[in-house]
Amino acid sequence: MARLTRRSVLRGSAALGATRLAAPHIARAAVTTASVWFAQGFVQDEDVALRKAVADYEKASGNKIELSIIPFAPERQKIISAITSGVVPDMIDSNPAEILQIYGWQDRWVDVSDVVETQKAQFSETALQAAQAYNSVTKKRATYGVPLRAAVVPCHIWKSLVEKAGMKLEDIPKTWDAYFDFFKKVQDNLRKQGERKVYGLGFQVTANGVDPYNLFMAFLLAYGGQDIVTKDGKLHLDDPKVKQAAIKATAYLGGAYRDGYVPPSAINWNDADDNNAFHAKLMVMDVDGTLSTEVAVKDKHPEWYFNEIVTHGVPGYPNDNAGKPIPSIVGYTNGLIPKGAKNVTVAKEFLKYFIQPKVIGEFVELGLGRWLPVMPALAKSPFWQNPKDPHLKGYVQQGLLGATIPDYYVFNVAMAEVRTQHVWSLAMIDVAKDGGKPEAAIDKAFKRIEEIFAKYKMA
Amino acid sequence: MSMLAVDAALASARATTRAHRAVRVRRYLAAAGTVALSVALVVWTLLPLYNMVLISLEPEGDVFTDHIWPRVVSVESFWGVLTQSHWYLEHFWRQFANSIYMGAMVTILTLVIGSLTSFSIGRMRIRHGWLVSNVALLTYVIPASFLAIPFYRIMQNYGMANNLWSVIAALVAFATPYAFFVLQEYGRSIPIEVDESARIDGASPLQVYLRIYLPLMAPALVAVGTYAMLLAWNEYLYQFLLLSSKSSMTVPVALAQFLSSDQSPWNYMMATAIIYALPPVAIYYAFRRRMTAGLTMGGVKG
Amino acid sequence: MDSTSVVDVGRPAVRRGTLSQFLRGSLKGAEYTWAVAFVVPYIAVFVTFVAYPIVYGVWMGSEASLYRELFADPIYQTTVVNTVLYLALGVNVKMFLALLLSGFFMRPGWWTKLLLLIFVLPWAVPQVSTFVSIHWMLNGEWGFLNNALYKLFHIEGAHWLNDRWTALGAVIVSHIWKWTPFWTLILLAGRMAIPLEIRDTARVDGATGVRGFVYITFPLLANLYLICTLLSTVFLLGDFNTVYFVSGGGPANLTHVLGTLGIRNAFDIAQPRLGVAAVMSALPLVIPLVIVLMRKLRTAEVQL
Repeated sequence: MARLTRRSVLRGSAALGATRLAAPHIARAAVTTASVWFAQGFVQDEDVALRKAVADYEKASGNKIELSIIPFAPERQKIISAITSGVVPDMIDSNPAEILQIYGWQDRWVDVSDVVETQKAQFSETALQAAQAYNSVTKKRATYGVPLRAAVVPCHIWKSLVEKAGMKLEDIPKTWDAYFDFFKKVQDNLRKQGERKVYGLGFQVTANGVDPYNLFMAFLLAYGGQDIVTKDGKLHLDDPKVKQAAIKATAYLGGAYRDGYVPPSAINWNDADDNNAFHAKLMVMDVDGTLSTEVAVKDKHPEWYFNEIVTHGVPGYPNDNAGKPIPSIVGYTNGLIPKGAKNVTVAKEFLKYFIQPKVIGEFVELGLGRWLPVMPALAKSPFWQNPKDPHLKGYVQQGLLGATIPDYYVFNVAMAEVRTQHVWSLAMIDVAKDGGKPEAAIDKAFKRIEEIFAKYKMA
Repeated sequence: MSMLAVDAALASARATTRAHRAVRVRRYLAAAGTVALSVALVVWTLLPLYNMVLISLEPEGDVFTDHIWPRVVSVESFWGVLTQSHWYLEHFWRQFANSIYMGAMVTILTLVIGSLTSFSIGRMRIRHGWLVSNVALLTYVIPASFLAIPFYRIMQNYGMANNLWSVIAALVAFATPYAFFVLQEYGRSIPIEVDESARIDGASPLQVYLRIYLPLMAPALVAVGTYAMLLAWNEYLYQFLLLSSKSSMTVPVALAQFLSSDQSPWNYMMATAIIYALPPVAIYYAFRRRMTAGLTMGGVKG
Repeated sequence: MDSTSVVDVGRPAVRRGTLSQFLRGSLKGAEYTWAVAFVVPYIAVFVTFVAYPIVYGVWMGSEASLYRELFADPIYQTTVVNTVLYLALGVNVKMFLALLLSGFFMRPGWWTKLLLLIFVLPWAVPQVSTFVSIHWMLNGEWGFLNNALYKLFHIEGAHWLNDRWTALGAVIVSHIWKWTPFWTLILLAGRMAIPLEIRDTARVDGATGVRGFVYITFPLLANLYLICTLLSTVFLLGDFNTVYFVSGGGPANLTHVLGTLGIRNAFDIAQPRLGVAAVMSALPLVIPLVIVLMRKLRTAEVQL
């Protein structure tokens, strides 16, 4: 409207009235509220970014969103309680990521392919794959998630500690085993200098949280075990390559702990303890998902962020022992709409708004780059390509632009249970603490995995 | 005096001295034992509490220190909590008020419901009253952590999700059986004739309850009230499960946020924990004498 | 007051009862209404917030296949052992200490009173605060305990929470630390309820110290002690906070107890019914305990 004259106002309200009569469904959606649950960020900026996106949506659409930002770990439990009890909000984020597949198997989500369609061309292949789940009731795969953001697992290194040990990070070998052995040498040198409390490798050899699974899978891929579950959902434990890879991974990870290169308290770490230990310079490096390690200190210790901590995404992330690059597993946060939600319409509208490249790009960037965008075009933005920032470029290359694959529970939901049951952790701990042999540990682990997979028969 | 008598006198004197010395030694040993036990008790009791204070006074918020006395004392963390200056603590006062409100409601309701029911069962001797107090014990058969999930569902059904009252209801249900136990026991020491003579004088049961029962039971009520309040203050699981928004949360739930974060200022967390601990400690100390009397099942006789 | 001089207001003239007599007992009319009115609030609370959740929970945990899966889980077997140890040691050591300390605190003097004041702190301070503090205190690398051991005695402390048995021990000790004051107060009250005449007579007769305790005090306290032990066992079976905050169930899920395992099954592996089953599996132990407790409480006479 160019000028707000009385006639234009009258015309406008008449039009509005007509719309109300003609499409009461839309009008009804416009006055109801949708409840949205989202996990609290690890830094305040993430929450601020989310609130901004929600507020912008409310302004643009006239709908109301009742946003609950819930601390990370409690939110997981609330989601499970909600879905079990049947009283659900209208939209939740996939916390943890695999609930998309776990509850998708149980036919608990609303199909959101119409929402994803609106931006289909923008999404990366891997993101679109990861948004699907196999539904055991309909016996089909469907798209139940709307990809919002992603995370990948780079290596985080204290360059200052490496230099303190008299070595140079530029000299680090580029193949897998040699790469990690480098840090063992760093520890040895630091010990010679009298540093009692520093460890070379921050491997999360624990049965708590998601980190140990991510760590083990990175090693499994590095040693050639990527066919453990194929796209059709079939398990291939009898593949000798897979078995060898698993044994080597267990041997290296458990062995590092056993040989004293990993902080002893690691065995009881949860998802936050390893980051806290890293910040306290308890270890020289760790393999951890997202840039939370760096982003958390950007404010209080800019010198750490800009000078002392180095992220090895791509380039930097080591190749396998034969020198070939390894694809990275990417985890996604999807927007999910539970079945039984009271306001599916508004939830879908909100998601459609949220995944517009401009909106979702801004959301991810305002979160200081802890999470990755899911649209390759967004990675080319000045924020991600900022030459002054030492971490973002490598991170986005590894998780979005480079070779990526979705996590295996996307292919078969049983892998999600392998993750939550910490099967790999128990194998690592067998070797690490109880002096077991990797072969025996993997035999036990494989048996457990087969039992778990037997519970999920796909058509 | 003959030599023999003198010798005997000396011998007995020496024996007495020896006996006195033995008694004195025993007394010193007993005193030393008491001191040792006292010191051990104090150290044992205060060790974790001292650790809390130590961490809360750290300036950098690092737990990763290796000194055991406060090196640099900084009350920045306490100030930060009181002024809500950290983003985890944005709603601290609101959450603290929630905790207090919840504690007060649990206390009051446990006292009211517990005393009314005990009165009816123990004083008015309602038939099959023992059934009620025994069935109440069933509350403890199924552990609280088991009931958490059904509770969540049921609170949704009652429309009480994310509402402090859902937690209050759960805690009242858990505190009341114990209240019965204490109130019944204490009530035994008050003769039933007191009630009966009041009734003869024309008092209605309500008046007997208000004017006779409650005043006489005061110490036991204090004991029960303190117990209920401490139960509410100590509880974590239900609050964490049933309260999901920052404005309805209580302090323990807020504290849990610190635990799952990447870069928590631990000194703030401990300062919060210490401030949270002040009300129950204060209330306990204010009421402790009444409370011990209340736990004395019937008072000292004779 | 001579009870025979009081008129029996409650006894009805006709003994053999009508149904209403059976239901009401000795209360008549308005009094009965009052009595019922007084009990109704609790019954309402019980039905709405205890009975219904229990029924719902039992329904959730009522599939036989759940139990098969539960028993096959190696973590469950570890958990049962942990729970039994936790109960056996936690309850008994704590009650025994409470008994001894209650005797200690009977002494006169301002010193004892001050000590008692300090001693009660663990109970009064919320467990979220204290157990997290203990968790950090026990950290192998930078925890206060190891720092103190090193600085004061030059001992390298172990990694307390890294090993199943030391972690479990830490949990048990934490529990004892927190709850001994409470039970000490109760036993102390019980001791003070013993009539002075008995105590004086005993002293005059020479039954002091250990003899006095064994022959006089303990028999009088025995019933209270038993009730407290049973009550404490029932409370402890449902305990969640101690294990959750002190050891987190770790390392490698080796220090779970039934309470925390239930929550872990429900939420960490997203199988709420399995979680309910875990806790329900304790019922065969709990129900007899509660029955005994009920009986004891009914006939309990804690003083002469």
